[in-house]
Amino acid sequence: MPEPHLPAAFRDLEPWLAWSLATEGERSAKRQSSTMVEIKAFYETMLARMEAILPYLEQFPPDNVPPQTERLFYLTLSLAEIAPAAELYGQPGVVDGFDVSRFTPGNE
Amino acid sequence: MAGVETAAPTTNGGKWHDHYPELGTGPLPLEVFTSAEQFALEREYIFRKVWLNVCRIEQLSKPGDYFVKDIGVCNTSVIVVRGKDSRIRAFHNICSHRGNKVIWDQHGSASAFTCKFHGWMYGLDGGLKFVPDEASFFDLKKDCLGLTPVHVDVWAGFVFVNIDPNPQETLQEYLGELATELAGYPFAESSATAFSWRAEVKANWKIVKDSFQEVYHVGCLHKRSLPDAFVSSDNPYTHMLDMKLFPRHGRASLFGNAAHQPSPVQALSYKHGSILVRSGFSENTLPVGVNPTRSTDWSFELHVIFPAFFVVVSEGTYFTHQFWPLAVDRTIWESTTYFPKAKNLAQRFSQEYSRIIFRDIFLEDARTVEETQSVLSTGAKNEFLLQDYELLVRHSHNVVLNMITGSDGKTIGRAV
Repeated sequence: MPEPHLPAAFRDLEPWLAWSLATEGERSAKRQSSTMVEIKAFYETMLARMEAILPYLEQFPPDNVPPQTERLFYLTLSLAEIAPAAELYGQPGVVDGFDVSRFTPGNE
Repeated sequence: MAGVETAAPTTNGGKWHDHYPELGTGPLPLEVFTSAEQFALEREYIFRKVWLNVCRIEQLSKPGDYFVKDIGVCNTSVIVVRGKDSRIRAFHNICSHRGNKVIWDQHGSASAFTCKFHGWMYGLDGGLKFVPDEASFFDLKKDCLGLTPVHVDVWAGFVFVNIDPNPQETLQEYLGELATELAGYPFAESSATAFSWRAEVKANWKIVKDSFQEVYHVGCLHKRSLPDAFVSSDNPYTHMLDMKLFPRHGRASLFGNAAHQPSPVQALSYKHGSILVRSGFSENTLPVGVNPTRSTDWSFELHVIFPAFFVVVSEGTYFTHQFWPLAVDRTIWESTTYFPKAKNLAQRFSQEYSRIIFRDIFLEDARTVEETQSVLSTGAKNEFLLQDYELLVRHSHNVVLNMITGSDGKTIGRAV
Protein backbone atom coordinates (compact mmCIF):
# COMPACT_ATOMS: atom_id res chain seq x y z
CA MET A 1 0.00 0.00 0.00
CA PRO A 2 1.39 3.45 -0.81
CA GLU A 3 2.37 5.69 2.08
CA PRO A 4 -0.52 8.01 3.07
CA HIS A 5 0.09 11.64 2.13
CA LEU A 6 -1.24 13.33 5.26
CA PRO A 7 -0.96 12.67 9.03
CA ALA A 8 -3.42 10.02 10.30
CA ALA A 9 -5.83 12.47 11.91
CA PHE A 10 -6.20 14.46 8.67
CA ARG A 11 -6.55 11.78 5.99
CA ASP A 12 -10.05 13.08 5.23
CA LEU A 13 -8.28 16.00 3.49
CA GLU A 14 -6.48 13.78 0.96
CA PRO A 15 -8.96 14.70 -1.84
CA TRP A 16 -7.65 18.29 -1.50
CA LEU A 17 -3.96 17.50 -2.03
CA ALA A 18 -3.92 19.45 -5.29
CA TRP A 19 -3.89 22.53 -3.02
CA SER A 20 -0.81 21.32 -1.11
CA LEU A 21 1.71 23.53 -2.88
CA ALA A 22 5.13 24.58 -1.62
CA THR A 23 5.49 28.05 -3.10
CA GLU A 24 3.51 31.27 -3.16
CA GLY A 25 3.79 31.31 -6.96
CA GLU A 26 2.12 27.90 -7.23
CA ARG A 27 -0.57 28.71 -4.67
CA SER A 28 -1.36 32.02 -6.32
CA ALA A 29 -1.57 30.40 -9.78
CA LYS A 30 -3.90 27.73 -8.38
CA ARG A 31 -6.13 30.42 -6.86
CA GLN A 32 -6.28 32.40 -10.09
CA SER A 33 -7.04 29.32 -12.23
CA SER A 34 -9.79 27.95 -9.94
CA THR A 35 -13.48 28.75 -10.08
CA MET A 36 -15.22 30.30 -7.09
CA VAL A 37 -17.11 27.02 -6.64
CA GLU A 38 -13.78 25.21 -6.24
CA ILE A 39 -12.35 27.91 -4.00
CA LYS A 40 -15.41 27.98 -1.74
CA ALA A 41 -15.43 24.18 -1.45
CA PHE A 42 -11.77 24.13 -0.39
CA TYR A 43 -12.38 27.09 1.95
CA GLU A 44 -15.35 25.48 3.70
CA THR A 45 -13.57 22.14 4.07
CA MET A 46 -10.40 23.66 5.50
CA LEU A 47 -12.18 26.13 7.76
CA ALA A 48 -14.10 23.26 9.38
CA ARG A 49 -10.81 21.48 10.14
CA MET A 50 -8.56 24.39 11.18
CA GLU A 51 -9.51 24.20 14.87
CA ALA A 52 -7.87 20.76 14.84
CA ILE A 53 -5.09 21.49 12.35
CA LEU A 54 -3.58 24.53 14.06
CA PRO A 55 -3.01 22.87 17.49
CA TYR A 56 -1.44 19.96 15.59
CA LEU A 57 0.88 22.26 13.61
CA GLU A 58 1.75 24.10 16.81
CA GLN A 59 3.77 21.04 17.82
CA PHE A 60 6.20 21.40 14.93
CA PRO A 61 9.07 23.89 14.71
CA PRO A 62 9.44 25.14 11.12
CA ASP A 63 12.71 23.26 10.56
CA ASN A 64 12.85 19.53 9.74
CA VAL A 65 9.14 19.02 9.22
CA PRO A 66 8.04 15.43 8.39
CA PRO A 67 6.69 15.18 4.81
CA GLN A 68 3.11 14.32 5.83
CA THR A 69 2.97 17.29 8.20
CA GLU A 70 4.52 19.54 5.58
CA ARG A 71 1.77 18.65 3.09
CA LEU A 72 -0.86 19.49 5.70
CA PHE A 73 0.94 22.77 6.44
CA TYR A 74 0.94 23.66 2.72
CA LEU A 75 -2.83 23.15 2.69
CA THR A 76 -3.12 25.84 5.39
CA LEU A 77 -0.92 28.17 3.32
CA SER A 78 -3.33 27.68 0.41
CA LEU A 79 -6.18 28.55 2.77
CA ALA A 80 -4.32 31.80 3.58
CA GLU A 81 -3.91 32.36 -0.17
CA ILE A 82 -7.58 31.93 -1.06
CA ALA A 83 -9.10 33.45 2.09
CA PRO A 84 -9.30 36.97 0.58
CA ALA A 85 -11.03 35.54 -2.51
CA ALA A 86 -13.58 33.64 -0.40
CA GLU A 87 -14.11 36.21 2.35
CA LEU A 88 -13.58 39.59 0.69
CA TYR A 89 -13.72 39.59 -3.10
CA GLY A 90 -16.20 36.91 -4.18
CA GLN A 91 -13.94 36.21 -7.16
CA PRO A 92 -10.52 34.56 -7.45
CA GLY A 93 -8.54 37.73 -8.09
CA VAL A 94 -8.45 41.06 -6.30
CA VAL A 95 -11.34 43.22 -7.54
CA ASP A 96 -9.86 45.92 -9.80
CA GLY A 97 -6.43 44.57 -8.87
CA PHE A 98 -3.03 44.55 -10.54
CA ASP A 99 -2.16 41.28 -12.30
CA VAL A 100 -0.69 39.17 -9.48
CA SER A 101 1.58 37.34 -11.93
CA ARG A 102 3.42 40.67 -12.40
CA PHE A 103 4.03 40.84 -8.62
CA THR A 104 6.87 38.36 -8.42
CA PRO A 105 7.72 36.57 -5.16
CA GLY A 106 11.41 37.03 -4.46
CA ASN A 107 12.17 34.21 -2.04
CA GLU A 108 11.28 31.03 -3.83
CA MET B 1 13.03 73.16 8.04
CA ALA B 2 13.37 71.68 11.50
CA GLY B 3 11.13 68.94 12.79
CA VAL B 4 8.26 70.47 14.72
CA GLU B 5 6.56 68.73 17.61
CA THR B 6 2.95 68.24 16.68
CA ALA B 7 0.05 67.88 19.06
CA ALA B 8 -3.19 66.83 17.42
CA PRO B 9 -4.01 70.28 16.01
CA THR B 10 -7.33 69.06 14.73
CA THR B 11 -8.71 68.71 18.23
CA ASN B 12 -8.84 72.52 18.48
CA GLY B 13 -10.01 73.05 14.93
CA GLY B 14 -6.54 73.61 13.49
CA LYS B 15 -4.83 71.79 10.67
CA TRP B 16 -1.61 69.81 10.50
CA HIS B 17 -0.49 72.19 7.77
CA ASP B 18 -0.59 75.02 10.34
CA HIS B 19 2.68 73.64 11.73
CA TYR B 20 4.40 73.94 8.37
CA PRO B 21 3.33 77.29 6.91
CA GLU B 22 6.34 77.35 4.58
CA LEU B 23 4.78 74.48 2.60
CA GLY B 24 1.64 76.44 1.76
CA THR B 25 -1.63 74.76 0.84
CA GLY B 26 -1.69 75.29 -2.91
CA PRO B 27 -2.00 72.76 -5.71
CA LEU B 28 0.81 70.56 -6.99
CA PRO B 29 1.75 70.88 -10.67
CA LEU B 30 0.97 67.63 -12.45
CA GLU B 31 4.00 67.90 -14.71
CA VAL B 32 6.28 66.76 -11.86
CA PHE B 33 5.07 63.24 -12.76
CA THR B 34 5.41 63.53 -16.53
CA SER B 35 8.35 65.84 -17.22
CA ALA B 36 11.35 64.06 -18.72
CA GLU B 37 13.43 67.11 -17.82
CA GLN B 38 12.48 66.83 -14.15
CA PHE B 39 13.21 63.10 -14.21
CA ALA B 40 16.72 63.75 -15.53
CA LEU B 41 17.29 66.25 -12.72
CA GLU B 42 15.99 63.84 -10.08
CA ARG B 43 18.41 61.23 -11.35
CA GLU B 44 21.35 63.60 -11.21
CA TYR B 45 20.63 65.67 -8.10
CA ILE B 46 18.72 63.21 -5.92
CA PHE B 47 19.39 59.55 -6.65
CA ARG B 48 23.07 60.02 -7.44
CA LYS B 49 23.54 62.12 -4.29
CA VAL B 50 21.68 60.50 -1.41
CA TRP B 51 21.84 57.28 0.60
CA LEU B 52 19.78 54.44 -0.91
CA ASN B 53 18.76 51.24 0.85
CA VAL B 54 19.79 48.15 -1.09
CA CYS B 55 19.35 45.19 1.28
CA ARG B 56 19.26 43.90 4.86
CA ILE B 57 22.31 42.80 6.79
CA GLU B 58 20.77 39.31 7.15
CA GLN B 59 21.37 38.88 3.41
CA LEU B 60 25.12 39.20 4.10
CA SER B 61 25.37 37.04 7.20
CA LYS B 62 28.81 35.45 6.66
CA PRO B 63 32.12 36.40 5.00
CA GLY B 64 31.86 36.01 1.22
CA ASP B 65 28.10 36.61 1.08
CA TYR B 66 27.33 39.14 -1.63
CA PHE B 67 24.26 40.89 -3.00
CA VAL B 68 23.98 42.63 -6.35
CA LYS B 69 21.71 45.63 -6.85
CA ASP B 70 21.13 47.02 -10.30
CA ILE B 71 20.37 50.69 -9.78
CA GLY B 72 19.12 51.80 -13.17
CA VAL B 73 18.37 55.35 -12.07
CA CYS B 74 22.08 55.74 -11.24
CA ASN B 75 23.16 53.87 -14.39
CA THR B 76 25.00 51.32 -12.33
CA SER B 77 25.00 47.93 -10.71
CA VAL B 78 26.45 47.63 -7.21
CA ILE B 79 27.99 44.61 -5.47
CA VAL B 80 27.63 44.65 -1.69
CA VAL B 81 29.79 42.03 0.02
CA ARG B 82 30.87 40.96 3.49
CA GLY B 83 34.66 40.61 3.43
CA LYS B 84 36.87 38.02 5.10
CA ASP B 85 37.40 40.67 7.82
CA SER B 86 33.57 40.81 8.20
CA ARG B 87 33.47 44.40 6.91
CA ILE B 88 30.69 45.32 4.49
CA ARG B 89 32.00 46.86 1.28
CA ALA B 90 30.36 47.94 -1.96
CA PHE B 91 31.68 48.26 -5.51
CA HIS B 92 30.50 49.23 -8.93
CA ASN B 93 29.88 45.94 -10.72
CA ILE B 94 32.17 46.60 -13.70
CA CYS B 95 35.48 45.00 -14.64
CA SER B 96 38.61 47.18 -14.89
CA HIS B 97 39.69 45.47 -18.10
CA ARG B 98 36.96 45.97 -20.70
CA GLY B 99 33.92 46.89 -18.69
CA ASN B 100 32.06 43.62 -18.38
CA LYS B 101 29.56 43.29 -15.56
CA VAL B 102 31.51 41.14 -13.11
CA ILE B 103 28.67 39.45 -11.17
CA TRP B 104 25.61 38.45 -13.20
CA ASP B 105 23.50 36.72 -10.55
CA GLN B 106 21.68 38.56 -7.76
CA HIS B 107 23.24 37.05 -4.67
CA GLY B 108 25.50 34.26 -3.51
CA SER B 109 28.64 33.47 -1.59
CA ALA B 110 32.14 33.66 -3.04
CA SER B 111 35.78 33.69 -2.01
CA ALA B 112 36.65 35.98 -4.94
CA PHE B 113 34.91 37.62 -7.91
CA THR B 114 36.02 36.39 -11.34
CA CYS B 115 34.95 38.22 -14.48
CA LYS B 116 33.35 35.82 -16.95
CA PHE B 117 34.85 37.60 -19.99
CA HIS B 118 38.63 37.11 -19.60
CA GLY B 119 38.93 35.79 -16.06
CA TRP B 120 40.22 38.86 -14.21
CA MET B 121 39.87 38.04 -10.53
CA TYR B 122 39.11 40.41 -7.64
CA GLY B 123 39.27 39.77 -3.89
CA LEU B 124 36.31 40.43 -1.61
CA ASP B 125 38.05 43.71 -0.71
CA GLY B 126 37.81 44.73 -4.38
CA GLY B 127 41.54 44.42 -5.04
CA LEU B 128 42.68 42.99 -8.39
CA LYS B 129 44.26 39.62 -7.55
CA PHE B 130 44.93 37.89 -10.85
CA VAL B 131 45.14 38.75 -14.55
CA PRO B 132 45.39 35.88 -17.04
CA ASP B 133 48.32 36.36 -19.48
CA GLU B 134 49.44 39.37 -17.48
CA ALA B 135 52.81 39.51 -19.30
CA SER B 136 51.08 40.52 -22.55
CA PHE B 137 49.67 43.74 -21.05
CA PHE B 138 51.46 47.08 -21.10
CA ASP B 139 52.48 48.75 -17.82
CA LEU B 140 49.67 47.10 -15.89
CA LYS B 141 49.38 48.74 -12.44
CA LYS B 142 47.37 46.07 -10.66
CA ASP B 143 47.29 48.01 -7.38
CA CYS B 144 45.23 50.72 -9.06
CA LEU B 145 42.91 48.42 -10.98
CA GLY B 146 40.60 47.09 -8.30
CA LEU B 147 36.81 47.33 -8.46
CA THR B 148 35.63 50.93 -8.02
CA PRO B 149 34.36 51.37 -4.46
CA VAL B 150 30.92 52.72 -3.58
CA HIS B 151 30.21 54.30 -0.19
CA VAL B 152 28.24 51.93 2.01
CA ASP B 153 26.97 52.07 5.59
CA VAL B 154 24.47 50.24 7.76
CA TRP B 155 21.67 51.56 9.97
CA ALA B 156 19.58 49.20 12.10
CA GLY B 157 20.56 46.34 9.80
CA PHE B 158 19.54 48.21 6.62
CA VAL B 159 22.43 48.46 4.16
CA PHE B 160 22.62 51.77 2.28
CA VAL B 161 24.89 52.87 -0.53
CA ASN B 162 25.68 56.34 -1.84
CA ILE B 163 26.73 56.56 -5.49
CA ASP B 164 28.28 60.00 -5.03
CA PRO B 165 32.09 59.53 -4.93
CA ASN B 166 32.15 62.22 -2.22
CA PRO B 167 28.91 62.00 -0.20
CA GLN B 168 28.02 65.30 1.38
CA GLU B 169 26.91 63.68 4.63
CA THR B 170 27.20 60.40 6.48
CA LEU B 171 24.30 57.94 6.57
CA GLN B 172 23.71 58.86 10.19
CA GLU B 173 23.54 62.55 9.32
CA TYR B 174 21.27 61.78 6.40
CA LEU B 175 18.77 59.78 8.46
CA GLY B 176 19.02 62.25 11.34
CA GLU B 177 16.21 62.47 13.85
CA LEU B 178 14.07 59.82 12.16
CA ALA B 179 16.72 57.21 12.99
CA THR B 180 17.17 58.55 16.52
CA GLU B 181 13.45 58.20 17.18
CA LEU B 182 13.50 54.58 15.97
CA ALA B 183 16.50 53.54 18.07
CA GLY B 184 15.69 50.42 20.04
CA TYR B 185 13.10 48.96 17.70
CA PRO B 186 13.98 45.24 17.50
CA PHE B 187 14.70 45.15 13.76
CA ALA B 188 17.14 42.22 14.09
CA GLU B 189 14.65 40.01 15.91
CA SER B 190 11.76 41.07 13.68
CA SER B 191 13.68 40.44 10.46
CA ALA B 192 14.24 36.69 10.88
CA THR B 193 11.63 35.81 8.25
CA ALA B 194 11.48 37.94 5.12
CA PHE B 195 9.25 37.59 2.06
CA SER B 196 9.52 39.98 -0.83
CA TRP B 197 7.76 40.88 -4.05
CA ARG B 198 9.00 42.79 -7.05
CA ALA B 199 7.07 44.39 -9.88
CA GLU B 200 7.69 46.83 -12.68
CA VAL B 201 4.84 49.33 -12.77
CA LYS B 202 4.09 51.84 -15.48
CA ALA B 203 4.06 54.92 -13.30
CA ASN B 204 6.35 57.71 -12.18
CA TRP B 205 8.16 56.82 -8.95
CA LYS B 206 6.48 59.69 -7.10
CA ILE B 207 2.99 58.54 -8.12
CA VAL B 208 3.84 55.19 -6.56
CA LYS B 209 5.50 56.74 -3.52
CA ASP B 210 2.66 59.18 -2.89
CA SER B 211 0.09 56.41 -2.83
CA PHE B 212 1.80 55.13 0.34
CA GLN B 213 2.31 58.55 1.92
CA GLU B 214 -1.35 59.01 2.75
CA VAL B 215 -4.16 56.78 4.01
CA TYR B 216 -7.02 59.05 2.93
CA HIS B 217 -7.56 56.44 0.18
CA VAL B 218 -7.91 53.45 2.52
CA GLY B 219 -11.64 53.70 3.18
CA CYS B 220 -12.34 53.94 -0.55
CA LEU B 221 -9.74 52.01 -2.56
CA HIS B 222 -9.30 49.28 0.07
CA LYS B 223 -12.95 49.05 1.17
CA ARG B 224 -13.13 45.38 0.19
CA SER B 225 -9.75 44.27 1.53
CA LEU B 226 -9.92 46.30 4.72
CA PRO B 227 -13.61 46.81 5.49
CA ASP B 228 -13.13 47.88 9.10
CA ALA B 229 -9.49 47.49 10.14
CA PHE B 230 -8.42 51.08 9.51
CA VAL B 231 -11.73 52.92 9.48
CA SER B 232 -14.36 53.34 12.18
CA SER B 233 -17.48 55.41 12.68
CA ASP B 234 -15.33 57.83 14.71
CA ASN B 235 -12.58 57.96 12.08
CA PRO B 236 -14.18 57.17 8.70
CA TYR B 237 -11.35 58.76 6.69
CA THR B 238 -8.46 57.09 8.56
CA HIS B 239 -7.12 60.38 9.90
CA MET B 240 -3.57 59.91 11.10
CA LEU B 241 -2.92 60.07 14.84
CA ASP B 242 0.27 62.07 14.41
CA MET B 243 2.51 63.40 11.67
CA LYS B 244 6.01 64.80 11.77
CA LEU B 245 8.16 66.19 9.00
CA PHE B 246 11.94 66.02 9.10
CA PRO B 247 14.13 68.04 6.73
CA ARG B 248 13.72 65.36 4.06
CA HIS B 249 11.96 62.42 5.64
CA GLY B 250 8.49 62.05 7.14
CA ARG B 251 6.67 60.01 9.74
CA ALA B 252 2.98 59.32 10.28
CA SER B 253 1.16 57.40 12.95
CA LEU B 254 -1.65 55.32 11.48
CA PHE B 255 -5.02 54.70 13.05
CA GLY B 256 -6.29 51.17 13.55
CA ASN B 257 -9.79 50.20 14.57
CA ALA B 258 -9.27 48.03 17.65
CA ALA B 259 -12.95 47.02 17.48
CA HIS B 260 -12.64 45.60 13.97
CA GLN B 261 -14.29 42.23 13.39
CA PRO B 262 -11.86 39.74 11.84
CA SER B 263 -13.04 37.38 9.10
CA PRO B 264 -13.05 33.65 10.01
CA VAL B 265 -9.57 32.91 8.63
CA GLN B 266 -8.26 36.22 9.98
CA ALA B 267 -9.51 35.22 13.44
CA LEU B 268 -7.61 31.92 13.19
CA SER B 269 -4.52 33.83 12.14
CA TYR B 270 -4.84 36.24 15.06
CA LYS B 271 -4.77 33.33 17.52
CA HIS B 272 -1.26 32.48 16.42
CA GLY B 273 0.49 35.74 16.58
CA SER B 274 0.26 37.80 13.46
CA ILE B 275 -2.25 40.54 13.92
CA LEU B 276 -3.17 43.26 11.46
CA VAL B 277 -4.64 45.57 14.08
CA ARG B 278 -4.04 44.84 17.72
CA SER B 279 -5.75 46.27 20.74
CA GLY B 280 -3.16 47.56 23.13
CA PHE B 281 0.59 47.78 22.69
CA SER B 282 3.77 47.66 24.78
CA GLU B 283 4.16 51.27 25.77
CA ASN B 284 7.37 50.66 27.65
CA THR B 285 9.27 48.85 24.94
CA LEU B 286 8.45 50.88 21.82
CA PRO B 287 10.79 53.73 20.88
CA VAL B 288 9.38 57.26 20.71
CA GLY B 289 9.20 57.06 16.91
CA VAL B 290 6.69 54.21 17.09
CA ASN B 291 3.19 55.16 18.21
CA PRO B 292 4.46 58.48 19.63
CA THR B 293 1.05 59.48 20.98
CA ARG B 294 0.77 56.13 22.80
CA SER B 295 -2.69 55.73 21.37
CA THR B 296 -4.64 52.52 21.87
CA ASP B 297 -6.06 53.10 18.38
CA TRP B 298 -2.65 52.82 16.76
CA SER B 299 -1.82 50.30 14.02
CA PHE B 300 1.36 51.18 12.10
CA GLU B 301 4.05 53.83 12.07
CA LEU B 302 4.93 54.96 8.58
CA HIS B 303 8.55 56.10 8.17
CA VAL B 304 9.25 57.59 4.76
CA ILE B 305 12.99 57.82 4.18
CA PHE B 306 13.73 60.14 1.28
CA PRO B 307 13.73 59.59 -1.60
CA ALA B 308 11.68 56.36 -1.78
CA PHE B 309 12.28 53.92 1.07
CA PHE B 310 9.41 53.12 3.42
CA VAL B 311 9.77 51.35 6.77
CA VAL B 312 6.30 50.65 8.13
CA VAL B 313 6.48 49.20 11.61
CA SER B 314 3.97 47.54 13.86
CA GLU B 315 4.77 45.73 17.06
CA GLY B 316 6.99 42.74 16.30
CA THR B 317 6.47 42.91 12.55
CA TYR B 318 7.15 45.44 9.81
CA PHE B 319 7.26 45.85 6.06
CA THR B 320 9.23 47.96 3.64
CA HIS B 321 8.72 49.42 0.21
CA GLN B 322 11.56 50.55 -2.01
CA PHE B 323 10.73 52.28 -5.27
CA TRP B 324 13.40 52.50 -7.97
CA PRO B 325 12.78 54.83 -10.89
CA LEU B 326 13.52 53.35 -14.32
CA ALA B 327 12.13 56.10 -16.53
CA VAL B 328 9.80 59.04 -16.07
CA ASP B 329 6.83 56.65 -16.30
CA ARG B 330 8.29 53.33 -15.12
CA THR B 331 9.26 52.21 -11.61
CA ILE B 332 10.52 49.06 -9.95
CA TRP B 333 8.48 48.36 -6.85
CA GLU B 334 9.98 46.12 -4.16
CA SER B 335 8.07 45.22 -1.01
CA THR B 336 9.21 42.98 1.81
CA THR B 337 7.28 41.76 4.84
CA TYR B 338 9.33 40.87 7.91
CA PHE B 339 8.38 38.64 10.83
CA PRO B 340 10.17 37.16 13.83
CA LYS B 341 11.23 33.54 13.40
CA ALA B 342 8.10 31.42 13.74
CA LYS B 343 8.24 29.08 16.74
CA ASN B 344 6.01 26.56 15.01
CA LEU B 345 4.04 25.93 11.82
CA ALA B 346 0.83 27.43 13.20
CA GLN B 347 2.65 30.75 13.58
CA ARG B 348 3.94 30.42 10.02
CA PHE B 349 0.36 30.01 8.83
CA SER B 350 -0.52 33.17 10.73
CA GLN B 351 2.36 35.09 9.12
CA GLU B 352 1.33 33.80 5.71
CA TYR B 353 -2.21 35.06 6.12
CA SER B 354 -0.92 38.54 7.09
CA ARG B 355 1.43 38.88 4.18
CA ILE B 356 -1.09 37.62 1.61
CA ILE B 357 -3.55 40.26 2.84
CA PHE B 358 -0.79 42.86 2.42
CA ARG B 359 -0.04 41.59 -1.08
CA ASP B 360 -3.65 41.77 -2.17
CA ILE B 361 -3.91 45.31 -0.79
CA PHE B 362 -0.73 46.26 -2.68
CA LEU B 363 -2.34 44.88 -5.87
CA GLU B 364 -5.14 47.43 -5.41
CA ASP B 365 -2.53 50.18 -5.03
CA ALA B 366 -0.46 48.97 -7.99
CA ARG B 367 -3.44 48.93 -10.35
CA THR B 368 -4.38 52.42 -9.23
CA VAL B 369 -0.95 53.97 -9.79
CA GLU B 370 -0.86 52.60 -13.35
CA GLU B 371 -4.38 53.81 -14.10
CA THR B 372 -3.40 57.23 -12.73
CA GLN B 373 -0.26 57.49 -14.83
CA SER B 374 -2.15 56.39 -17.94
CA VAL B 375 -4.22 59.59 -18.01
CA LEU B 376 -1.75 62.17 -16.68
CA SER B 377 -0.76 63.27 -20.17
CA THR B 378 -4.30 63.99 -21.36
CA GLY B 379 -3.71 67.70 -20.83
CA ALA B 380 -7.13 67.97 -19.21
CA LYS B 381 -5.71 68.62 -15.75
CA ASN B 382 -2.67 70.64 -14.80
CA GLU B 383 -2.51 70.21 -11.07
CA PHE B 384 -3.25 67.94 -8.12
CA LEU B 385 -5.05 69.02 -4.96
CA LEU B 386 -3.74 67.96 -1.56
CA GLN B 387 -5.73 67.93 1.68
CA ASP B 388 -4.44 68.23 5.25
CA TYR B 389 -3.74 64.49 5.66
CA GLU B 390 -1.72 64.46 2.45
CA LEU B 391 0.92 66.56 4.23
CA LEU B 392 3.72 64.04 3.66
CA VAL B 393 3.00 64.10 -0.08
CA ARG B 394 3.27 67.89 -0.15
CA HIS B 395 6.44 67.83 1.94
CA SER B 396 8.30 65.31 -0.20
CA HIS B 397 7.49 67.17 -3.43
CA ASN B 398 8.84 70.29 -1.77
CA VAL B 399 12.05 68.43 -0.91
CA VAL B 400 12.39 67.19 -4.50
CA LEU B 401 11.85 70.69 -5.83
CA ASN B 402 14.43 72.15 -3.46
CA MET B 403 17.00 69.59 -4.50
CA ILE B 404 16.60 70.09 -8.24
CA THR B 405 15.97 73.84 -8.23
CA GLY B 406 18.33 76.67 -7.41
CA SER B 407 17.66 79.08 -4.57
CA ASP B 408 16.38 81.63 -7.08
CA GLY B 409 13.73 79.12 -8.11
CA LYS B 410 15.09 79.03 -11.64
CA THR B 411 18.62 77.71 -11.72
CA ILE B 412 18.28 74.01 -12.29
CA GLY B 413 20.58 71.63 -10.54
CA ARG B 414 21.28 72.62 -6.98
CA ALA B 415 23.00 69.90 -5.00
CA VAL B 416 21.67 68.56 -1.70
